Amino acid sequence: MRRSVFIAGLATLTLGTLGFGTGQKSYVASAQEKMSTMEVKIDNFSFGPATLTVPVGATVTWTNRDDIPHTVVSTDDSKTFKSKVLDTDEKFSFTFSKVGTYPYFCSIHPKMTGKVIVQ
Amino acid sequence: MHPFDIKTVVLAKHAQHVVLIHFPIALFIIGVLFDFLAQWKKQRLLAAAAYYNLLVAAIATIPVVVTGILAWQWELEGQKLKGILLMHLVMGCLSSVLICVVWLIHMRTRSKQAEFLPGYRLPIEAVAVVIVALTGHLGGFLSGVNGPG
Repeated sequence: MRRSVFIAGLATLTLGTLGFGTGQKSYVASAQEKMSTMEVKIDNFSFGPATLTVPVGATVTWTNRDDIPHTVVSTDDSKTFKSKVLDTDEKFSFTFSKVGTYPYFCSIHPKMTGKVIVQ
Repeated sequence: MHPFDIKTVVLAKHAQHVVLIHFPIALFIIGVLFDFLAQWKKQRLLAAAAYYNLLVAAIATIPVVVTGILAWQWELEGQKLKGILLMHLVMGCLSSVLICVVWLIHMRTRSKQAEFLPGYRLPIEAVAVVIVALTGHLGGFLSGVNGPG
């Protein structure tokens, strides 16, 4: 009797641990997924969202959903990131490895501006 | 950015192209209109007005082409163009050549002191107006004239 209770307890503990582990794995996976799907849409001559806050190491992808070509160019003098001309549905990605604020604009339409805040 | 700030006017890399382009377009279209009217009404005064409009239009294409190419080199770092941008570049160059060709036809007739301009210029002028209009339409589309703000 004692032995069967012990085995049942051990089995519960093992399953529980496995279950917790699986849950933790799925949590980590969803967090990574969330991190990798940081996206800025370019549409109707604007960046959306105009301001994006991301953690360090996140990759931001800009997708041109407009009928017009656009670019994504950081405003700082060293041009931290600079895309080629993006036609409709073309993408540009950049990984932010340092904390800071990164303002950017479209060099074809300088009125189009956006900002990525890396925390 | 203030519209009357001299720094903005002089240094805003490709803004000059967007501003200057309106001069040859307007002068050329009006020049062609005067030429068609001169042909129809048989008036020398209208022909002279056409000539001077076409002359200034041809001169105005020079800074427009230069600023357009500089915008490509500065803002886009001379990268390989495709799509609407490439079409705009090719049609822009073609428009400039046609404007200069039309002016040359008028200039040669004047320098020879011939009484009549050659009739073949009229279809060339009509085609040139269509190409200039299409190039301008593409330019307007690219610059977002119809966009928000």
